[in-house]
Amino acid sequence: MLRIRDLKFNFNIWSVLSFIFISLIVLPNLNILINILNHPNENWNHIKEYLLKDYIFNSVILVIFTGIFTILIGVSLSWIISVYDFPFRRFFKWGLVLPLAIPPYIAAYTYNGLLNYTGVIQSFLRNNFHIRVNQKYFDVMSAQGAVFIFTMFLFPYVYIITKSFFEKQSASLIENGRVLGRSSLEIFLYVALPISRTAIVGGVSLVILEVLNDYGVVKYFGIPTFSTAIFKTWFAMGDIDSAIRLSASLMFMIFCILTLEKFLRGRKQFSYTTSKVRPISRIELKGSKKILAFTFCFSIFSLGFIIPTLQLIHWSLLTYRKILNTKFLTMISNSLIIALLSSGIIIILAVIIANNCRISKGPLSKIYSKIIVMGYSIPGAVIAIAVIVFFVALDNKLYWLYRMINDTSSKLVLSTSIVMLIFAYVIRFLAIGYNSIESGFEKVGKKFFEASRTLGMNITETFFKVDFKMIRHAILGGFLLVFVDILKELPLTLILRPFNFNTLATKSFEYANDEMIHEAAVSSLIIIIISVILIYFFYKIGDKEAT
Amino acid sequence: MKRKLSVVSLSFVLILLIATLAGCSTGQEKTANIQEEALNSKKENQVVNLYTDRHYDTDEKLYELFTEETGIKVNVVKGKSDELIERLAREGKDTEADLLITADAGRLHRAKTKDLLQPVTSNTLTNNIPTNLRDKDNEWFGLTVRGRIIVYSKDRVDPSELSTYEDLVNPKWKGKILVRSSSNIYNQSLLASFIAIDGEEKAKQWAKGIVENMARDPQGNDRAQATAVVAGEGDIAIMNTYYIGKMLNSSNPEEVKVAKNVGIFFPNQDTTGTHINVSGVGLTKYAKNKENAIKFMEFLSSPKAQEQFAQANYEYPANPSVEPSDLLKSWGEFKPQNINLSKLGEFNQKAVEIFNEVGWK
Repeated sequence: MLRIRDLKFNFNIWSVLSFIFISLIVLPNLNILINILNHPNENWNHIKEYLLKDYIFNSVILVIFTGIFTILIGVSLSWIISVYDFPFRRFFKWGLVLPLAIPPYIAAYTYNGLLNYTGVIQSFLRNNFHIRVNQKYFDVMSAQGAVFIFTMFLFPYVYIITKSFFEKQSASLIENGRVLGRSSLEIFLYVALPISRTAIVGGVSLVILEVLNDYGVVKYFGIPTFSTAIFKTWFAMGDIDSAIRLSASLMFMIFCILTLEKFLRGRKQFSYTTSKVRPISRIELKGSKKILAFTFCFSIFSLGFIIPTLQLIHWSLLTYRKILNTKFLTMISNSLIIALLSSGIIIILAVIIANNCRISKGPLSKIYSKIIVMGYSIPGAVIAIAVIVFFVALDNKLYWLYRMINDTSSKLVLSTSIVMLIFAYVIRFLAIGYNSIESGFEKVGKKFFEASRTLGMNITETFFKVDFKMIRHAILGGFLLVFVDILKELPLTLILRPFNFNTLATKSFEYANDEMIHEAAVSSLIIIIISVILIYFFYKIGDKEAT
Repeated sequence: MKRKLSVVSLSFVLILLIATLAGCSTGQEKTANIQEEALNSKKENQVVNLYTDRHYDTDEKLYELFTEETGIKVNVVKGKSDELIERLAREGKDTEADLLITADAGRLHRAKTKDLLQPVTSNTLTNNIPTNLRDKDNEWFGLTVRGRIIVYSKDRVDPSELSTYEDLVNPKWKGKILVRSSSNIYNQSLLASFIAIDGEEKAKQWAKGIVENMARDPQGNDRAQATAVVAGEGDIAIMNTYYIGKMLNSSNPEEVKVAKNVGIFFPNQDTTGTHINVSGVGLTKYAKNKENAIKFMEFLSSPKAQEQFAQANYEYPANPSVEPSDLLKSWGEFKPQNINLSKLGEFNQKAVEIFNEVGWK
């Protein structure tokens, strides 16, 4: 009797906690949606008449072209790396992931500083050879420039997902094609592309979400899109109602994209019943083809990693003496502590919810995972509004409590603290941690869990003694991914941080926006170095798992 | 027993988590608490709390000087001006801020209309700051002055061709004018000043004419416009005076070259005067250290502070008894627009609407 009651209680702890966390994520966003029912104000009519078209046009253009180019680059690279052998292939295999370590906004101002009139390339040509170039060809601060930046620094999303699909799923089909005498190009077009459609669509939708979420690049380049418009309406016009309306329009666009993604993926799942992963036998390239493959990989790697990093190192050397002081150290520790703390919280929440969903497979668990994934698709600008409105309301509700604890307490306690920022991170990045842990649980299956339960351990004990040890790689992997994302995160940190709270990301952006790009280099470089190290570890973990 | 333990341990982890969170929040409020304590023991520790969008190291020396003279400590919170104003609005009565320092009269006016400031009665301030550089209800006071001027290519433009802002819509400048986006407040205030002087219709015609004469779609900031002139993308640019000062002192030698290669022209000298703007200070409506705050405002307007305060950003001092820096003097004296700068705020909304209507991006 006692045992059953205990069991129920324990069971409830996981599910009750999950329910509470999920509601906390949903509430602020519901708050936003409800606001749409209000009547639009005069300013909204003005925005609708003169500006909305531009916002939609620019956002759509950026999304479409970045989508096309990331597919072209990402898919071709993953194909070359998966089926051919050529010099440095092993290095490029993970090196081509590295552009992800450079946040697009840092890439944007680095490339502008490199290419503009006072930049190193033009002044070198001018001062040494008296060559004056046409500015139009060196101008990155345009929609085309933004597409270039997004493509070069976001294509790894497509590359990673497609590559792992090719490596794990397609060996037999590709080899059949070879046996039947098809050329590599034919196999690529008629076999590889169709079967990897799901993976490609999955990768490119991540890219699209990133583009719509971006604030740093479009703000710096002065391209009016939804995310800059939301901030502008909110801060410069002081019109939060219209900002919410813009957010709702953006959410609608994202909803359309997600629906489209579902539709494109269709019901076709090219997965195999056998869990045996067989690598493709690679063809060794010779002669000019070898050089071509190497050159292609190397150029992309240079544009996406080497060139901007070298430029940043150069600028850092010019300014580090001026920049490195105690304030800078506080900033580094701020960045690390908040990333550590938030990733820790996110992973704990992810584990609790994933464990609950795995144990109680019901409609509710499905809804949970949908909500978590939705969070990742909400752009930072929208989350920022939702979270602020929510926390100010919450502070008003909790005022009596603050007064009870401290007589002279001010009303805005939570909404002026770091809690608000962490909360926003959780909404946005829970999906990344959750996906990692969910797939960890899937690999382990339920056999060990059930065995442990049959032997009389309850859910919580089972988790700590059995499950935890089996999914610890997934936990670590998820933690690393979330950590890197938070370290690079810009719009949420910029808006929701408490005063005098600077992180490496916000400082880089502020310097760059004040046209002090040299000064922005040191903090940017630190972000990149930390990200590279963590991404490397992440891949080590992945390799260990695979073997 | 074991089972219970694990439940306990789980809850322990959670409590720890919450405690860490709470710890973080109190960490952030530590400064606030310090300020409150300071309030309680008023006689020992006097403070004034500042929200500012300025970030110059020389300012800190001024704060130290003020503390030395009065014993009042200056606490500073830095941020972007729009965010500071939004933050003030959100904090309402609970704000810690006593003073708001921000660039552009348009923004100061917005803070005023949002009911975030209060009038200040001080003879020192009204004596130090001319009438047109302060709010008509004395809710804010200009501290430093900048002009929005024309810079031109020394190679391709003869300064005798330049005369007024109005002349820039002349077809002879077609494809030659460089200016930044209309989302920038400096352009909004410029157009607002024309609305105030010439009326809405004429201002709209002007904006339309500039759009037609633009060398390229607006992009980049004020410095980028000067660079584009030297790079040959256009012949003349509209920009603020202090950016020339900043470029001349840049760590990038190429940028210094750019600044040396453009000419500086103060338009409308024979007519309505060159457009000027200020960065200024206002006393917040719910200031808790009102007396100290006013003392600090008076200090900033005083001759000894004005020179350094203006020089930090290569600006003109608002106090007429103080001379501008040598660099600024080398550009010559100029006749400024003669309107009360409150107008820039009053017509800001209208200016933004006109920009959107004529398609100034």
